[in-house]
Amino acid sequence: MTNQSKDVIKSKTPSLFPAKTKAQVTLIFFVVLGFYLFSMFWTQRDMVGGFSNSLSNMFTVIGKFFPPNLSVIPAVWGPMAQTIQMAIVATTFATIFTVPLAIMSAQNITTFKPLYYATRTLMNILRTIPDLVLAVIFVGLFGIGILPGILALFIFSLGILAKLISETIESVDMNPLEAMRASGGNVFQVIFFGLVPQVLPQFTSFVLYVFEINIRASVVLGLVGAGGIGLILDQQLGFYNYPNAMAIIILIFVVVIVIEYISNKLREALI
Amino acid sequence: MIQFKDVGLVYPNGTEGLKNINVTINDGEFVVIVGLSGAGKSTFIRSINRLVTPTKGSLLVDDEDILSYRSRELRKLRTKVGMIFQNYNLVKRTNVLKNVLAGRLGHTGTLRSILNFYKKEDIGLAYESLQRVNIAEKIYNRADELSGGQQQRVSIARVLTQKPGYILADEPVASLDPPTSHQVMSYLKKINKEDNITTIVNLHFIDMAMEYADRIIGMRAGEVVFDGPVSEVTEKTFEEIYGRSIREDDLRGGADES
Repeated sequence: MTNQSKDVIKSKTPSLFPAKTKAQVTLIFFVVLGFYLFSMFWTQRDMVGGFSNSLSNMFTVIGKFFPPNLSVIPAVWGPMAQTIQMAIVATTFATIFTVPLAIMSAQNITTFKPLYYATRTLMNILRTIPDLVLAVIFVGLFGIGILPGILALFIFSLGILAKLISETIESVDMNPLEAMRASGGNVFQVIFFGLVPQVLPQFTSFVLYVFEINIRASVVLGLVGAGGIGLILDQQLGFYNYPNAMAIIILIFVVVIVIEYISNKLREALI
Repeated sequence: MIQFKDVGLVYPNGTEGLKNINVTINDGEFVVIVGLSGAGKSTFIRSINRLVTPTKGSLLVDDEDILSYRSRELRKLRTKVGMIFQNYNLVKRTNVLKNVLAGRLGHTGTLRSILNFYKKEDIGLAYESLQRVNIAEKIYNRADELSGGQQQRVSIARVLTQKPGYILADEPVASLDPPTSHQVMSYLKKINKEDNITTIVNLHFIDMAMEYADRIIGMRAGEVVFDGPVSEVTEKTFEEIYGRSIREDDLRGGADES
């Protein structure tokens, strides 16, 4: 009797997930696990001997970096300021150009499909090119200096910003926009009244975030000849002048931390 | 005057929103559309300001067929047909006064509105509208700081600021509690009487329809199944409109609380 009722329960209780989902998830799990095992095996084979004498090397290299020659700092303020300027100019232009691009690549605002797909594709292409590659190309085009750096950062941050902001736009509450349309507003009025107030805090926050990324990226871009402090750092490393290089690294570190602190405070005040 | 002539609407997915509608709404009337959800009440109301576009027949507002309207004419139509929504549709992060001024968008140039250069009269009008719905003390509050009833009053003020000839209200009290519902309906009725604005309201509460309407239009499955003055309406009429007997949740109640 009890056995029978148990059987009834067993046959009637549904499983939490459908059998198909279970099979799929299990399969995916094992495939991912396989990837892990494979790449672990593969990299180990290449890394054989990699770690053995790196430890003693590390101490020699670090020894060369210390003590940092802090007396070069006054001399590199100029390039440091250039790096920050690059980031500011690039972020500003990216912010301006993002607005139309983000609106045109938000599905809820741009109902005209071909335009939406065109801008989406353009943005995807922008984002697939690494900033370093952009910088190398522009240095080749315009020569060593600050302009190629700005252009590279501009395109790079335009890609990120437009993507982030178009996604914010897609998640807004569409009801107020409908109300604006119902009271006779045209497209620009609907966007300015219904959309802008809803995305403005996130928009500012993303701009600050991209500015932080740009500060750091502009240092790296200097290494390939795109002006600023990175260029000087590259030169000093090239001359094996490690104490100077260390001083520059410390300067960059402090500046980045200060800028991040300020922009974090600004962001907290906004949200 | 609004005239529906053989109006039909089929949505792109094949659903028939409206079937063969023939209705004339005279100036100054307070019409309540009743019906179950999905009966086509919203589609009916949204056709009048072309938030949806009927696919058949002709729809005349002030003797002009609005179905052929394109962008510029459409915006002009929408300045004279104000709308109130179930979810108030205010911009939550913006203050009350600016939300109300949005009612002037159709009357204001693009540049002027984007730069916030509103005419003095417009701001005065917005303030006056807020006074009429008794919420003028909240002008600098953000819209999301207000309660549901207050937000709906702000949205009534927004419509008033538009100086419309018609007000459409799509389930204006569905998200409110009974006393607030009556308050909102009273304001709509008062405005209808004082300014002689033709008002069309979607409701699914029978008792509220009976209390505020001059005329009731019943809809079922996209068709008008009843149309007559409120004096002709009985419980039987509603049973016919709904196609079932009346239940407790068809009533809002709380009429004497307000």
